[in-house]
Amino acid sequence: MIISKQKEFDVILRNLKEEDIFIIGCGKCAKKLRVGGEPEVLQMKTKLEKAGKNIIGWTVLSSACYIRSWEEVLTQNPAIKKAHALLVMSCGGGISVISGFADIPAYPALDTESLGGTCCEETVKDQCGMCGDCIIWMYGGICPLSQCAKTLLNGPCGGAKDGKCEVDDRLCVWDAIFERLKKIGKLEYLDVLRAPRDHTRNRRSNV
Amino acid sequence: MSFSDKLLTGEFIVTAEISPPKGTEIRPLLSEAARLKSLVDAINVTDNPRAIMRMSPAAVCWLLQGKGYETIMHITCRDRNRLALQSDLLGAHAMGIRNILIMTGDHPEKGDHEGAKPVYDLDSVQVLSLIRKLNNGFDCSGNRLEGMTDFTPGAVSNTQLSDVSMIKLRKKINMGASFIQTQAVFDTDSMSNFMDKIDMISSKRPVIIAGIIPLRSEKSARFLNENIAGIKVPDNIINRMREANDPASEGIEIAAELIRKLRSLCDGIHIMPIRDHKNTKHILETAGIR
Repeated sequence: MIISKQKEFDVILRNLKEEDIFIIGCGKCAKKLRVGGEPEVLQMKTKLEKAGKNIIGWTVLSSACYIRSWEEVLTQNPAIKKAHALLVMSCGGGISVISGFADIPAYPALDTESLGGTCCEETVKDQCGMCGDCIIWMYGGICPLSQCAKTLLNGPCGGAKDGKCEVDDRLCVWDAIFERLKKIGKLEYLDVLRAPRDHTRNRRSNV
Repeated sequence: MSFSDKLLTGEFIVTAEISPPKGTEIRPLLSEAARLKSLVDAINVTDNPRAIMRMSPAAVCWLLQGKGYETIMHITCRDRNRLALQSDLLGAHAMGIRNILIMTGDHPEKGDHEGAKPVYDLDSVQVLSLIRKLNNGFDCSGNRLEGMTDFTPGAVSNTQLSDVSMIKLRKKINMGASFIQTQAVFDTDSMSNFMDKIDMISSKRPVIIAGIIPLRSEKSARFLNENIAGIKVPDNIINRMREANDPASEGIEIAAELIRKLRSLCDGIHIMPIRDHKNTKHILETAGIR
């Protein structure tokens, strides 16, 4: 699941110079995270109207990042043709796909944060560093590229205080990695010298 | 005798830390170094400590070495990818710098350029491995160098280590760390435990140099406890600082007592003052090692 959150409304409003707006939500991750499904699209509509925008239509696509035919989207939502801008309530993947079809500006209402999942009804973020060279098994299924603030591969930095990462209040992931590898009887994985990463595996990602 | 030669003799090592200036004014730096003249075996020069931007440690090491001081250049993994690390290391070598202390480096969010990109292309174990390659005449990708390096690499450690931190320290030792400089020690029992653990994980123990931060006040002790990872000032020391009529003198006495005890426990000490080296000579004399 792609984890995203809504931008501050002021930021959305600052970006959105056009008056006639069509809002597009996404029925997948953004809906499940309650940041881009129907209720959120309707709330956004109300807020934008209060701010003086003309909302000429809205829809929630079944998946903003999977569009077989833009013609079909236009047929089902003819108001898009009258709009001067789209406000897209999806992850970066969704707005990127939509922007490729649309011939008017598309603005994001969400900030895409990480690749995560849902575990026992709880949303978990930063589960995958999208490195293009999955090494998660070496760390007991806990990805240090997404969960260690310094993307270290050979162990902790020593900056954790009372078990908490120096960057935020999260628990240092290296203790969790140790416990998980101990549980599955693979602590020897930690003894291996991990070589520097090959960044050609994810040329255009910043991870 | 050079610092690297001293590491081999078993002589008790004394080092002290200086941070480069934030700006181009180098006179205060040179005055600080002058306070350490003939007192220390080498001066550590920090690399954007606490992620606060300062002058390049290579430039400062070069300045100090020109004035007759031997230096240990810090290099963090935070600010440079493997190309920059290697070209800076080769440049440092050309400037006569031979001792390198490798550490991960505080995250940019801790410093004064919070939005800077954290690099960490290599981690500290991988930089140690890289230096081993450079010393053998090869770069990180295995290309042959025209002229190999002759670095003495060191690493850092806390003295109270979790299981997973111990594994990493073992990797650093296996990758050729000749010396380990520790976070500040205030409790010799925990230092003794640390030494036992080092002996358990390494067949040939690197030179262990214990960090010393002379306390200035009860407040400074509490600040360290609350803000600096890997430091635990015990209650008895905090009480001594609170009850002292002259806390700065008490801080000097505590540091000297620690150094006296550490002489029989480890291989050296490293002075990291909170402000400046005004009291460093006095501390070393009180401890009886200078």
